[in-house]
Amino acid sequence: MNTPFNTLNEMVRLTSPFPESDTVKDWRASGRKVIGWYNPYIPEEIIHAAGMLPFEVTGNNEPVQMQGAEAYIYSNSCSKIRTCWQLQLDGQYDFLDGLISSHMCDQDMRLSEVWAYYKKLPYMDNIYAPRKRDEVGVQLYLKDLEDFRSRLSQYLICRIPDQHIANSIRIYNRGRELMWQLYELRKRDRPPVTGAEAIEVSKAAARLPRERFNEMMEQLLDEIQRTGREIKKPRRLMIVGNDLHNTNQVAALESLDAVVVVDEMNIGIRYAWGQVDTKLPPMEALARYYVMGRPVDMHTWNSDGRLQFIGEMVEQFRVDGIVSEIVRFCTYNGWDKFDLKKQMAERGIPILELDLEYGHPAGAQVKIRAEAFMEMLESRAL
Amino acid sequence: MSTDNLITIEELIQRLKMAKEGAKKQPGLMKSSASYYQMVSTYVERIASAKDDGCWVATHGTQQPLEILEAMDVRGCFIEFWGAIADLTGKLESAPEALSISASTGTPGEVCSFFRNFDGLSHAGKWPRTDFYLYASSVCDNVKSFHTLGRRYNIPSFGLERSYYPFTAHAMEHWKNEYKRYIAFLEEQTGKKMDYDRLKEVVALSYRLTELHLEIDDLVAHVPCPLSPECYSGTLLAIRLLPGTQQAIDFLTELRDELKERVDKGIGAIENERFRVQWSSFTPFFDPTLMTFMQQKYGAVNVCDMLSRWRGESKWMLDPEDPLGNLAYRTLLAPGNCQYSSGIDVAANLCDQALKFKTDGAIFNNNWGCKTGASYGPIIKDEMMRLVGVPTLTIHCDILDATFISRAEIESQMDSFFEMIENSKAYKARRNLK
Ligand code: SF4
Ligand code: SF4
Repeated sequence: MNTPFNTLNEMVRLTSPFPESDTVKDWRASGRKVIGWYNPYIPEEIIHAAGMLPFEVTGNNEPVQMQGAEAYIYSNSCSKIRTCWQLQLDGQYDFLDGLISSHMCDQDMRLSEVWAYYKKLPYMDNIYAPRKRDEVGVQLYLKDLEDFRSRLSQYLICRIPDQHIANSIRIYNRGRELMWQLYELRKRDRPPVTGAEAIEVSKAAARLPRERFNEMMEQLLDEIQRTGREIKKPRRLMIVGNDLHNTNQVAALESLDAVVVVDEMNIGIRYAWGQVDTKLPPMEALARYYVMGRPVDMHTWNSDGRLQFIGEMVEQFRVDGIVSEIVRFCTYNGWDKFDLKKQMAERGIPILELDLEYGHPAGAQVKIRAEAFMEMLESRAL
Repeated sequence: MSTDNLITIEELIQRLKMAKEGAKKQPGLMKSSASYYQMVSTYVERIASAKDDGCWVATHGTQQPLEILEAMDVRGCFIEFWGAIADLTGKLESAPEALSISASTGTPGEVCSFFRNFDGLSHAGKWPRTDFYLYASSVCDNVKSFHTLGRRYNIPSFGLERSYYPFTAHAMEHWKNEYKRYIAFLEEQTGKKMDYDRLKEVVALSYRLTELHLEIDDLVAHVPCPLSPECYSGTLLAIRLLPGTQQAIDFLTELRDELKERVDKGIGAIENERFRVQWSSFTPFFDPTLMTFMQQKYGAVNVCDMLSRWRGESKWMLDPEDPLGNLAYRTLLAPGNCQYSSGIDVAANLCDQALKFKTDGAIFNNNWGCKTGASYGPIIKDEMMRLVGVPTLTIHCDILDATFISRAEIESQMDSFFEMIENSKAYKARRNLK
């Protein structure tokens, strides 16, 4: 058992209790607003530039029991949106002053509509997430972002100026740079952190004021260096698929003598990826980064880039096997399944496919399959 | 794995022929029903003969500017239609078999059956020969399958994308520009240049079709409703399959005239119209006998549905010299397209429709694989009750697979639903009953 990092413990403390943490309470006590965001096509930089706290709306480490959500969103919707809506029904998200979603998938679009209809917040908005990664998509998104900036400014009765956005970009870029350094360290033969810990770090980034997160991230990297901590596990895994916010799900996999060294989640590697170009006008720079600057994700129609990216990360992080998890009813992932399996087979990379209910621990069946998968990896290594 | 029950294009042509002949002979049906089958046959035969006629076939989803295809000798093959038509012509075993084949390729069962049916038939080599796939982002997440299957079967594809708020000036400009890219894609694939004069003619025909559709809506809104189930889908299919063609205009003209005659003579779909039903999503494609059953058992007439509803006044011909601008606007107003905006907006459209068609109850088919529907069904139900006092029955079904929910279960839900409506104050007030 490796000694926990003090800094990581502090990140968890600052983001607890979930979701209305002590940090959120302090923030609101000083009269400032909190805006929920739901998916990776909402530029936090613009919310930050408006002096508000961007906070990712998700579930967390405890499975959420459906007690009423399905009267508003039928059970044939993905369990992630039902979980978030249940948390809202339970009053857990009462601290939000606004919610911004995007039409990245049908279900996040509908979640924001259900929220708007049954529990309207003072500020609610949607931004379309282009499915084509090209210049036309960038221009469409840029104009939509400008409209969004105007609506948010109107809500604040104060124009959000370019200079503030440029400043926020610098702060968020620094955060990405620091998170990426942690990914680099995970390429080591003996990475310093587990996959579960790495997701805790990403969650903190999406829940804390970014300046505070950046300070803590610097401390964490320093602590890693000072302690020389190493995870000694024989199998290196990659997780691909939907965002997992219940780190216990990842820890359960890692308990099978494996370590997750990389992922392809929006909350994971994409959240740490690249830099917004500070030489461009800030709104254009954001549009370019959010549409084209990150690895291709599952909502993009052409998945070639996504599959290619997964293959490249397997090589860079020297992955032994992939765990592909799909939150049931997530259409995009469903359509990538066939080609993911085929392409990884062509690359000789074993893959374990799991269907999960968002936030819920794996059942006995899944455990048996995961164990068998690890044994298979072990026999390949011999 | 069996592929014996999968519908083929040849079998479909045969079934439609038989249906047409049957409609001619069966007493009591609307005269237009034979023409309805004729129109659908024309559509299918055009796909079958495309290659011989020197034309191309594009398999596509909804929200497509089919007028562009018509002007470029490209024949559309609409995947939702192809999914429903096997059921509608009585070949109920085809969809479940196609869905099993799709599952065997690893496609999850929670994906919409329209697309799994497409997936399964394609895998079995039973999908009509296709030159390219066309789709649009504003339909649903499933359109990703066009690119995915295109890669698998080496079929080029093009997707249109639309902003979440489609009526802003920049979003409309973008949407029109997408049509230019669409044409460029088709020109590249076919090696043919778009003839814009021809496009203008096609667009003018399409506009005439819209006008006819709206005239028909006005007639169908009469009490008693003159439209019988055998012709119920006629307007929807004319608009969705053959816009910009004379065949569709001829059919809707005939249907309009027959409805007018029935209204003038006071002929209703049934003698004693007790309930007027609105399908607040789609009609029951999975069970083609349900509408007739409802008429017979409850005196419940199907008067309207969400997929057949034009938004607003639908005067989309803004400038006859700008066919692309007109078409871009048309698809934002066209039937079914409001489904792809917010649930609150869809509900508002349905409430307008409820008032126009004087509906007593709504039925919401919650298609297992449809995530856009699963999350706005409750909003629609609550908003229709709040704004127009129309209660909703929700049927949890699969859009194509009749085995998903038993008929007995549906009937028992309907028994209670119609009893509840009949005893409601709103129903009595609408009919001046005590
Ligand atoms: S899990 Fe899939 S369907 Fe659900 S919100 Fe995420 S991307 Fe959308
Ligand atoms: S029924 Fe729903 S999921 Fe199926 S094609 Fe239509 S919008 Fe998409």
